[in-house]
Order: sequence, then structure tokens, then C-alpha cells
Amino acid sequence: MINAVLVFNNAGQPRLTKFYTQLETSVQQRLISEIFTLVSHRPSGSCNFLPLPPLLASSGTSTTSSEPHNDVPSLVTYRHYATLYFIIISTSTESPLALIDLIQVYVEALDRLFENVCELDLIFNFETLHATLGEMIVGGVVIETQLERVVEGVRMQGKVAKRPVNEGRGGALGMGGMGGNFAWAGR
Amino acid sequence: MDLKATALLKLVYLEMFGHDMSWASFHVLEVMSSAKYLQKRVGYLGAVQSFRPDTEVLMLATNLLKKDLTSTAPTTMSLPIITLPHIITPSLALSVLSDLLPRLTHSHAAIRKKTIVTLYRLALVYPETLRPAWPKIKERLMDEGEDPSVTAAIVNVVCELGWRRPQDFLPLAPRLFELLVDSGNNWMAIKLIKLFATLTPLEPRLVRKLLPPLTSIIRTTPAMSLLYECINGIIQGGILGSGDDSAGGEEIATLCVTKLRGMIMVEGDPNLKYVALLAFNKIVLTHPFLVGQQEDVIMDCIDSPDISIRLRALDLVVGMVSSDNLMSIVGRLMRQLRNSPFESKSDHMDDGPVIIEPAADSDDEAPEATIRPDKGTAQAPPLPDDYRIDVIGRILEMCSSNNYGNLVDFDWYIDVIIQLIRSAPIQSQASMAKESTSRDGVDISQKIGNELRNVAVKVKAIRPYAARAAESILLSAYNDSSSQLSASSGALRPVSWIVGEYAQYLEDPSSVLTALLQIIKSAPSADGLIVYLQAVPKIFSLMAGDENISWTAEQKMMTSLLMARVIHTLEPLAMHPDLEVQERAVEFTELLKLAAEASSGQEPTTDSVQQDAPLLLTQAIPSLFAGQELNSVAAGAQRNVPIPTGLNLEEPIHPNLSRLLHAVDSYSFDEPDHDEFEVYYHQQITVSLGAVEPAANRLGEAPPEEKVHSYQQGGEDSYLDPDIVARRRAERAERNKDDPFYIAPNDEVSGTSTPLHNILQSNNGQELDIDAIPIMQLDLGKTSLVSDKPKAKKSISSKARQRIQVAADETLATSGMSTPRNGDSDNSADGSQRPRMSKAKQSLLQVDSSNIGAISLDDDGTGGEIDYERQQREEAEMAKAVREVERLRLEMQRANERIHAAQGVSLEGTVVKKKKKKAKPAVAEGETPVVVKKKKAKKPVADDGEGNVADVPAAVVKKKKKKKAKIDEGVVAEESGVSGTVEGA
Repeated sequence: MINAVLVFNNAGQPRLTKFYTQLETSVQQRLISEIFTLVSHRPSGSCNFLPLPPLLASSGTSTTSSEPHNDVPSLVTYRHYATLYFIIISTSTESPLALIDLIQVYVEALDRLFENVCELDLIFNFETLHATLGEMIVGGVVIETQLERVVEGVRMQGKVAKRPVNEGRGGALGMGGMGGNFAWAGR
Repeated sequence: MDLKATALLKLVYLEMFGHDMSWASFHVLEVMSSAKYLQKRVGYLGAVQSFRPDTEVLMLATNLLKKDLTSTAPTTMSLPIITLPHIITPSLALSVLSDLLPRLTHSHAAIRKKTIVTLYRLALVYPETLRPAWPKIKERLMDEGEDPSVTAAIVNVVCELGWRRPQDFLPLAPRLFELLVDSGNNWMAIKLIKLFATLTPLEPRLVRKLLPPLTSIIRTTPAMSLLYECINGIIQGGILGSGDDSAGGEEIATLCVTKLRGMIMVEGDPNLKYVALLAFNKIVLTHPFLVGQQEDVIMDCIDSPDISIRLRALDLVVGMVSSDNLMSIVGRLMRQLRNSPFESKSDHMDDGPVIIEPAADSDDEAPEATIRPDKGTAQAPPLPDDYRIDVIGRILEMCSSNNYGNLVDFDWYIDVIIQLIRSAPIQSQASMAKESTSRDGVDISQKIGNELRNVAVKVKAIRPYAARAAESILLSAYNDSSSQLSASSGALRPVSWIVGEYAQYLEDPSSVLTALLQIIKSAPSADGLIVYLQAVPKIFSLMAGDENISWTAEQKMMTSLLMARVIHTLEPLAMHPDLEVQERAVEFTELLKLAAEASSGQEPTTDSVQQDAPLLLTQAIPSLFAGQELNSVAAGAQRNVPIPTGLNLEEPIHPNLSRLLHAVDSYSFDEPDHDEFEVYYHQQITVSLGAVEPAANRLGEAPPEEKVHSYQQGGEDSYLDPDIVARRRAERAERNKDDPFYIAPNDEVSGTSTPLHNILQSNNGQELDIDAIPIMQLDLGKTSLVSDKPKAKKSISSKARQRIQVAADETLATSGMSTPRNGDSDNSADGSQRPRMSKAKQSLLQVDSSNIGAISLDDDGTGGEIDYERQQREEAEMAKAVREVERLRLEMQRANERIHAAQGVSLEGTVVKKKKKKAKPAVAEGETPVVVKKKKAKKPVADDGEGNVADVPAAVVKKKKKKKAKIDEGVVAEESGVSGTVEGA
């Protein structure tokens, strides 16, 4: 199963964190930064799989060494798009190559929803980000891999999603501050 | 409320940056209960991101969740469905199950598939929920007309469940097979293949059926991922290994390997390289020769710039090594180590601060949110130290595997080791300390040194060469200050042990001695000092103790000079804070002082008089070190030594110890440092057991102890009660019987044998039987025996420690009692416990599914059901006992309300209502009245209703609730009938 989906930018600032197991906030942060250190050091053209970050490795290897256990997260797959890193942490029951495709589907779905998605969209619509993810993965299990259906699913629940994009973007340009732009969500 | 929702959304965003928002959980709940969908969605998002199992408002959320689950709008309905997996607890699982089950037949495919997954997560925390849910899920799976994406979701869930209890899913195989062949969905196909890979070991016939479609997929599919998973499935399913039709098996294996080879060869796609190496790693376990053929491409991967690929290739290389290719592989790795630049430390430091604050949007971050620069994380192209260490570890592993079975040329190996010691990354003290806590307590250069020592001990033929290698390493450490080696390098310890133990092979003992003395002066840590100290007298005894050299004036001069130098170096260490160092230094200085006295008293040979060198030099000192040949002992062997009966380590040393100790203080000794008590407490340490390494320590320790006794003649008897002395002797005899390193004192040990000495000798020496120690050869398989006597082992070592503690409290407060011995026994004790500990330790992010494995889904059998029933019944009875009276009253009331409520169900969420709602799904089964009656009857006749109950598992849950109350059948029947109407309406 999939243990976590993370999105952060080139500076390591998280844009989306979704853990399918409950985890302390501080531990989450440590994990994110560890993965970020790993990921940011990789030369371009290297493969999309990371060695386990220390936090996972330390707890993981002791169990995996005795017997390979399918419950232990053992695979960190990432993809790099422009300014964003998309990361999926999963157990060995997922197929590594398929996960790369899954990230692709996710990004394409976002692109479809936002039209030319950029990092700013994700900041101001991070709720939509979650909604999209919710259409694809529930509780760590992939439920949908077809782009159209994912997009359709999100549109069905959030007609609002598209409008605020423009509002938010305009607001961002105008005010330049992120705090003021949250107001849309309630409207 | 709008404001609140907005604020909550911001809060959730901040939470992502590491700010705790658990304080807001009640507000989350408020927003969740908002009537507007968008606000509700924010609320649920907040719940997903911030609720933890211990969040208290979760209890309050139950009703809300149940309500939203029954909402009419599919979007609203899906909110709780996708939220539940994140916040689920066993009690919550039980209470929402009944609302979730009907969603499996919801008209929206999206709802259906989400429900299925949620049910799976429910089952993870509370396996019993799977029982009613499974038949329905299966029904969905079997339905040909079902939406393909729902089927895919089911397959995903089945796949997740599959590896936990494969046998339960065998009956589904035909349907799954059909899906595999027909569906065009790659994702699902991959999952199916994975599932089949877990099923085939249970049902060998599947293999024959699976092979044709898999082969055709391999040959035809355009999707790399599917291709790869096919190969992977074939490997994991043991299809390669099944030897029944070997021709087909070979064919498919070759096909796989060629495809994988093709994947590695594909230029410009590192991902394929990576996964292909992963697959090779699995094949190598069963078909090493097939992988061996691909050596060329794999070796290319070792030089890949990508660290992930390198590591995988490295894994692989270790697996495919054989005596033929060992040298070339190691050579390649060595070249890599040599040629690539060291990652400079300054780089490291530069990276640090940049990395540190990726998430620092504000300054008041929680301290634990910031990470310290970790040496393990810097994976830059110039070889990171971590990788270096890994490579070196692998090289050693490859060479030493199978007890050096793959190694043909030991000279070459020694050269490799020397080279490795030079190229090993230096570790700072700090990282060494970290190392010793996190890993097996040995830094890499020490590992290399240990390897050299192992070779020296095990391979007699190579010993002179190894000793000379050690000599050269030591000399270069001393002479060449610019080299990588320093006194702190871990490699020097085993190396100096070698030069000491095999001093006779040294080319130039005197310069080695000089180097050692120099190193001792600059050595920072006590751990190292202990070993270095031990080597000094060994070399000295070799140099000075040669009988054949005539005792000329020149020789006398030289010897005394030598002794003066050694004494000069050792003397300051007599005040060393570490007890072990102190003790050894004192022992050796005293010994040498004595020898110096003797030699100065001995007239040199003149032309007229032939004089022998002092016996102390030629006989006594060398004999201290020339005991039995040391052999390597299996790591676990020591633990197999039985504890002698009658050994009571808990016995107090003396009932009135403190007085004694006090008395001792008033005694005046020649050397206060050297009193009997100290020696005594030191001896205790030898009880602790160890593996190969401490051999050196022990070896030297025991004999000097004898020496001391005879030196301080009668010291013990003079102030210890006779009974203590006697008991101590007995104890020591027993203790030493356990100590394979204890060397039998010969008569030659000292020319002036004292009565005490004789007693000791008869107690110790003659009884010592080295052959009685079980194992001499290092045998890796031996570790399985380790667990046999771990308890015994632990008790000994802990006792030993305790006694030391006593001493520390009373008189020896100056010392940090943490002698390396102590550490040793700690380590080994931990070692025996580690497997168990790690079992208990759960990985981060890991979903605990251990209990789901225990549940059987076999819906034909009744065994599981009975269990389930019983459990439910017990629960019910518990509750009943508490609330029976009230229950009765409520039940009556409920029956009344039922009738009124028939037209419309109000959702006030009172206990009463809940009960009623539960009844509904049961009714949906259509059989309820019968079942309920059976239920009643079942208490006396348990087996009666089994068949029925098994058929209607969903009903079972609800029935229990009803049964709790002792109402007569009439009421129940009526109640069900009424709720039946409710359902109808």
C-alpha cells in the first residue's frame, strides 16, 4: 500500500502532505526534510527511486533484515516537475514503475483542473489538491488511475475549485502576501 | 462559520509546515458538522490531517460520521468514507460498519470503490469487520457488469489482503485469472500479477495456467511497468524455481533474464536499470549462474553516477560472487574507491546549513522539526563516506563469506586489506560514537583491521605475511603523519594485537615497539590503549627474552635501555582514569621494574665467566605470553558453556564488606594503586564473556594476576578471612573453567612458587580443558545456537557488572567504571535480544496488520464464526451484567417507539435509536426473524444456528446487540418486523 504522498518545492517547503498512517506532526516534518535532503542531492538523469531516508531505514532495516515484511515502507518514488517534487512512500506491494505513472496521472489531473498548473495554484488551492488525491488514493489504496474519472470526480464535488484559481492568482499578484488570499475559501 | 472554516483551512495549511493543531480538534468537529458542503469538506480535511487515535473528540464525531454516511448527496457521503481510513479506531470501526456496508451497493461507482477501500482499512484495525463485509465485496468482484474501476479497486484491496492470507483467496483465482486476461487496465493487471505471485506457492497448478498469458504479456505488452511486473511476478511466484517441467522453466527464465538485460541496456532510462537490478537481486537467490552471465552490464551499473543504482548493483554483486569472479569484482570496486575523490569534509559542512531549514517559514519552529545535518543523507556524486563504508563492508563480506570459501589468494587479500585501511574514510570521534550506538559498534576501519586479524588467526600459512602487513601499517601510522591513519583509527587495535601476538614474524620488532610506544603516548581513547598496552610487553619479551643471545654488556645495556623506555611510557598511564588501562599499565611497569632490577643485578658475560641472562627475562616474561595457540571462537560458542552448578554469583562477597574495606584503607602498601582489592575487582571483570576480540585482553591478564599474587606474597591471607579466601579460590576456579582464554599456569611461570600459587594452580591449571570448550572454528551458522542459553549468559554478565559497581561505590570512586569489558558484555547481551526487540519495534508509517492475518475469511467453514459468535456473546454478557436492568426498561420503551418510528426515522443519536438503526441491515438480509429466533435458542444449543448464521454474517453483528437484552421472542420478532417496515418505507 501507499504510506504517504508528499509534495514539496525545490526549497523543501511542503505543499501537500498526506500520510495514510497517523504520525506525529514533528515526525512528519523530520521525514519530509530527510527526504528533501536526499532528493535535492540527486543529479539530474538519475533514477526516480530513493534510498530509504534514515528515519525509515533505521526502523525499517531491523525488521527487514530478519524477514522481508510487506508492511514496512520500503520504496520511495519521486518525480520532479519544474519547481515541485512529488513523492510517494510505499511498501513493496506496489510496483515501482506503476507508481511513477501514478504520479504522472496525478500531475496531469491537476493540470487538467487548473489549466497550466503551477506551484501557486497548489498553494492557493491546496484543498483541491487533497480532493484530487482523494479521488485517486483512499486509505493508501489506489482506487482510480484513469485521468478522466479523477478529474470528473473532483469537478463533481468542487465546482468552486476552478473559480478561486483565478481569484487567488489575481489576489496573489495584487497583494503579494499569502495570508490575505485565503479568504476565498469561505466565500 | 464561514470565518471559522477559512481559519481552519489556514490552520491545516500551517499544520503542513509542522505546527501542531491538535488544540483545534473541537473546532474541526464543528466545521465538519456544518451544513454547507464546502465547509464540511474543509472540516473533514482538517480531521484527516490532524486527528490522531488519541484525539478525544473522535468519540463525538461518531454520530456525525454515521449521519453523513447516510446522506443523500454522493459528494457528502464520500467525505466520511475517505476520511475514515485516517481516523479509524476499533470502536469506531464497529459502529460505522453497519452504515458503511449498504454503501457497497450504492448507485455511484465512485462511492462503491471508496467504500471498499475503507472497509479494508476498517478490517486492518478491527479484523472482525471483514467478516460481514467480505461476502459483499466478493459479490462485487464476481459481478461481470460491475464498473471496471470498481473492480480495479477491489483487486487492489484483494491484493493487499492477499499476501496476508493467500489461502483464502485461492477460490477467487478463476475470476482473477479472467480479469487478468481480459482487462486492458495495466494497473489492475500489475496488481493481479502481484497477487498471483503470492498465490502460486500454495497452488502449483496455477503456474501452468499462468505461464502462457504471462509469457504473451512479456512478449507483447508495450507497457514497461507491466512487463517488469510480469517478470517480477514470475520470479516471486517461484515459477522460475518450480522444476517440474524444466524445459519450460529454463525457457521462461532465459526470457526474463534477456528482457531484464535489455532493460539495463536501454540508454537513458535509469528507472529501468534500477528496477531490473531489483529483479536481478531476486533472481540471484535461486539462479546465481543466470545472473552471473550478466556480469558485464551489472558491473557497468556499479560505476553509474546514480547512488541508488549503485547500491542496488552492489547488493547484486555480493549475491553473485564466486571464486572465479571475486578478484575482478573486488578489483573493480577497489578502483572505484581509489579513483573517486573523497567527499571533502568542508563540502559536507557547507551543505549542512542549507539543508537544515527547508521548512523554516518562521523562526519559531518546533525544535524537533529542524533536522541536523546527517552524514547519511549527503549523497553527492563524489563518493560519500556512507557509500564508501558500504562498499568496504561489502568487499569484506564478499571475501570472507563462506569462511573464506571464495578466496583463493590470501596474499592478494592481505594487500586488499592494506589498501582498504589506507582508503577507509576517517571518522570523527563524534560519528564513531554515533556509529557505536547505531550500528554494531565497530567503525569500518576497525572492521577492516578485524578482518586482517581474522585472517592472521585462521590462516596459519599467511600469518607471517599478515604480521608483516600489520607491521607496515603500524609503522606507516607512526612515521607518516600525513597518512590517513592516526592513533584514533580503529584499525590500529587489531593491528597492534597482531604485532603483539605474532611478534616472532616481525621484521623489525624494535621499530614496531618504538611506533607502539609513540602511539600509546598519543592515543586518545582508553579502548585503544588497552590493546596497545598489551602488545608492548609481548614485543618486549621477544626482543629481550631470547635465550640464545649471550648476556653481554652490550646486551645488558640495550635491554635495560629498552626497559627504561617502556617504563617511561607506561608509568604515566598508571594514573589513567580508565581502570583497565591503569591496571595494565601498573602490571607491566611493575613487571618491568622487577625485570630491570634482575638484569641490573646480573653481571654481564665476560671472557672468563659465562653468564646467563636473568631468568625473569628469558623464561618468566615470555612464558606469560606463550600459552596455548589462540583459535577463533564462534560468536555464540561462549554462551553454550554450561554454568557450573554451585556457582552463586549473588552471594555477597563478605557479610561485612564495608568494614573490611575500611580496614584495608588503613593498611599501608608499597604501591597503593596495587592493593589486593583492586586486583580482585579487576578479576571479576574477566567473568564477562566475549567473542574473538577480547582474547588478547584475557590472555595477558590472567598470568600477570599470578605474578601479582606471588609478588605480594600472602597478601590475601593476611587480611581476608580464611573462608573468603577459600570461596574466592573456588569461585575463580569455576570462573576460569568457563574461560577458554585462561591460560594454565606452568611451573615455570615463576621460579619462586609460593604455597598460595600452588593452590591456585591445582585449582585452575590442571582442570582447565581447552577441548571442553565446544567450538573453535568461526562458524556463522552457529548463531542459531545462540538463543539456547541466553539467559544464563545474561545473568553472568549482569552479575559481573553488579560487583564492579559495588567496588565503585566503596573505594574506587575515581574510576569511570565503564570498562570496555562492560561494554562488551552489554553488546553481546543486546545482541541476543536484538532480534526480539526489533520484532516489537514498528516501523514508521507501517500499518499494523498483524491481527488481520489471524482472521479467516473462509466463509464455508464455521470454525471462525463460532469464535466470532462467542466473542460477541461474551461482550454482550459483560455489558448485560452491567446494565441489565436498565436495558430491559429501555428495550420495552424501544419496542414502543418502534411502532411510532415506523413512518420516519429520527436521527437523534440516542442509544435507543442506534440500536434500532443497527437492526436495519440485518433485516435487509431478509432472513432476520428466523435468525433471531435461532439466536435465542443458541445459548443452550450453540451449534444449532451455525449454518444460518454463517449465511448471514452481516446480520450477526446486529443480533448480538439485541440478544443482550433479555426480551422475549415476541418483542424481538415484532421489533424486526417493524424495522422491516421501516426499511420498506
